[in-house]
Amino acid sequence: MSIDAREAASALSDIETIAQRVRQSRFYNFASLMLILWGVLIFFGNVASHFWPPLAGYIWIAVNAVGIAGSFAIGAFDYKRMGVRSFDLRMVAAYVLFLAFGALWSIGLGHFTPRQLGVFWPTYFMMVYTIVGLWIGPAFVAIGLGITGLTLFGYAFIGPWFELWMALVNGGGLLLGGLWMRRN
Amino acid sequence: MAELDEIIHQPLRLKIMAALNALPAATGLDFTRLKKLTGATDGNLGAHIETLAKAGYVTVAKAFVGKKPQTTVTATAAGRGAFARHVATLREIIAASAPEAD
Repeated sequence: MSIDAREAASALSDIETIAQRVRQSRFYNFASLMLILWGVLIFFGNVASHFWPPLAGYIWIAVNAVGIAGSFAIGAFDYKRMGVRSFDLRMVAAYVLFLAFGALWSIGLGHFTPRQLGVFWPTYFMMVYTIVGLWIGPAFVAIGLGITGLTLFGYAFIGPWFELWMALVNGGGLLLGGLWMRRN
Repeated sequence: MAELDEIIHQPLRLKIMAALNALPAATGLDFTRLKKLTGATDGNLGAHIETLAKAGYVTVAKAFVGKKPQTTVTATAAGRGAFARHVATLREIIAASAPEAD
């Protein structure tokens, strides 16, 4: 069997396209579980912060601790299933650095109000989702931009119900995004 | 130059092998996922998987997940090797046609 260079290039292009779709599919499968986990935690974190504002700091520390532990569990499950470590200590280090940088500017230097913190953290996280989505897949761009837009809308127009709004759009948005990824 | 693998070179079989090779060794794809990835019909996909299985390039495992039957297709070591050689040959064809630099 003999083919020319153009046919060979076309075959290699088909191979790369399929391989890219498989990688994206695997990533969506893993990421969807993470989104569902964090969506549920953020939903309850916002609802609890609304009803017990003095405890908000502790609530969010607990949300992050449970989230990291849950992410490790999902990573271990994925490793058992696929043989590839998706969530490891390097991911935790990246997450801690990301939180530390946000805390430095919003609390250490910025002295944000609780409402400003409520809009800063989700939009800060969603910026990463959006940027990562440029490489990984359009679903992340849609989730990142969608939640950012709804967060800013809530900051501007939703009065004392802001945390409940955030429970719905941030927690609910991640949860729906995760479920959508699993379905697709 | 090495010969192209005639079994793998068929467009749908190439897609199947490309999809399975993008996974870690010994990890398979279920039939439904493979159908979605390749855009093939049930009958066509089934026939080409059978051809690959007869060549020893993939294994097919059938099981029940709950009450639903699930068919999982996995590339064998021989299949991965054949696919790697096929890709190398495709690259050689492209390299051989490129004008030589001075």
